[in-house]
Amino acid sequence: MIGIRIHGRGGQGAVTASRLLADASFRDGKFSQAIPMYGTERRGAPLVAYVRIDDVRVRERELVHEPDVVIVLDPLLSKEQSVASGLKKGGLLILNSKLPPEKVEIAGDIKIATVDATKIALETLKRPITNTAILGAFSKSVGYPTMESIEKSIRKQFPGRVGEMNIAAIHRSYEEVTPVVQATHTEPVVEESDIAVGGYGVLKDVSSWRVFTPIIDLDKCTGCRSCWLFCPETAIQWKDDRPEIEYHKCKGCGICVEECPVKCIAFERVVV
Amino acid sequence: MSERINRLQIPMEELTITPGSACQGCGAALAARLVFKAIGPNAIRHRIPCCPDSTTAHPSANSVFESGGAMLTGTWRGLKAIGRTDVQVVGFFGDGGTYDIGFQSLSAAAERNENIWVITKDNEAYMNTGNQRSGATPIFARTSTTPVGSVIKGKQMRKKKIAKIFAAHGIPYIATTSVGYPEDLIAKINYGKTVEGFKMLIIQSPCPVGWRYDGSKTIAMARLGVQTGIWPLFEIIDGEKFKLNYKPRELKPVTEYLKPQARFRHLTDENISLIQEDTAKEWETLLKSDELGRVLL
Repeated sequence: MIGIRIHGRGGQGAVTASRLLADASFRDGKFSQAIPMYGTERRGAPLVAYVRIDDVRVRERELVHEPDVVIVLDPLLSKEQSVASGLKKGGLLILNSKLPPEKVEIAGDIKIATVDATKIALETLKRPITNTAILGAFSKSVGYPTMESIEKSIRKQFPGRVGEMNIAAIHRSYEEVTPVVQATHTEPVVEESDIAVGGYGVLKDVSSWRVFTPIIDLDKCTGCRSCWLFCPETAIQWKDDRPEIEYHKCKGCGICVEECPVKCIAFERVVV
Repeated sequence: MSERINRLQIPMEELTITPGSACQGCGAALAARLVFKAIGPNAIRHRIPCCPDSTTAHPSANSVFESGGAMLTGTWRGLKAIGRTDVQVVGFFGDGGTYDIGFQSLSAAAERNENIWVITKDNEAYMNTGNQRSGATPIFARTSTTPVGSVIKGKQMRKKKIAKIFAAHGIPYIATTSVGYPEDLIAKINYGKTVEGFKMLIIQSPCPVGWRYDGSKTIAMARLGVQTGIWPLFEIIDGEKFKLNYKPRELKPVTEYLKPQARFRHLTDENISLIQEDTAKEWETLLKSDELGRVLL
């Protein structure tokens, strides 16, 4: 039996990914189980989902505490949480990242494969929903489920044009995923911690929620205060009659970019 | 009646503690930020279950959906007993806590005319628990409990006209506003602060997750709601005097508001013309009310 844990953010489709993976494995004649972890899955907040795949009927009903494979749908999540926590020795970590696996700063006796799923998703789906884009990488690195089964599952989940776009995404990630290599880092960068799911209240830093980052061109700014007024998170402050972005508060929703009447706010994909 | 203000009169002080745990592009988080800017620090804010829009530094207690009005009443009576009548008692509720589950205790508080604020951020469904339909959900909208099937497509009932329902209690002040018009929102709170008695403000706050549009379009969507006449901005004083705050020469067609939202993607031309007719009829009534200066149903 293999256990899989999927890390993502609300809106990236971690729960859908777990369902697709379980469905595709079942089509391959295996027994499978998808477990969403219900919390307050708000868009942008970290969350997890689990999958079990086995050759015999799966009797377990609890969460997968020691997964064999961890899939990370968000490129920045691994800087915030110990995504490899609980991963078995020799287990596999599939990371959505621009970096080659040798440069990933996650320590342990684990193997790592990376794929730039955000880029693939932006190019094929036109939006940063990375759940299907990473399934091709999973199929290549683990060996199953077969691409045919994943295609069938996707067609069932997303009929029509959206399904075809997602299928294009899994094929690209199948091609573009790096070979699996042994993790080279020995010192953990992120402290071992409990995996937090959602939660209310005040957060410290939400910069990793962003896919795109607003950047103000102050030379063009006319001082109309629209960006300041409409920012839901008070990330834009008004200082000396000019806007100033406090990036640790910015979730990257893009309201300021949309509302700026002179379009002096650029919206760029910057790794934070 | 509320007095118009301009953007420079909006208070600079931020009372929300950020970053909160709301979604990206949350309309309700913006509503909370603007509301508490205008309410100021001298307030007690009570909560009932709703989206985690924002945290403020005000003293606060959490209770259940059903007891919103009762909790506010108790707080106000307590303040009155100790002579602190300067403190604003504010309930910042979602639409479920106003239109549906919380209605009975709010209605009772309105009947007793308690000196409290009830502020509703109306995102038109139970968004916190995953987009279940509420009395605030507009007709034909797709939610998780009114899905689009082969026979029944979306919610089949109309949205409650909650402002007029509460106006019929004869409360001193009730107004509708939208996060797309912050000047209007703040002007209405400024006026409400001068009124003694039950005050209510209903704010349309678009939800990118439930309404299914891109988070950057939250303000655009709120504006379109007002400009198409789907969400008119008005105020009613003493359950009688009426003023329409936003009167364009011509309303935009409702399709401009409906099309960008995927919750309305399945709408047929027939459905759209029904919504258009409803909106036009309501708008006519509102214009007539505005002319007479007294609310018509």
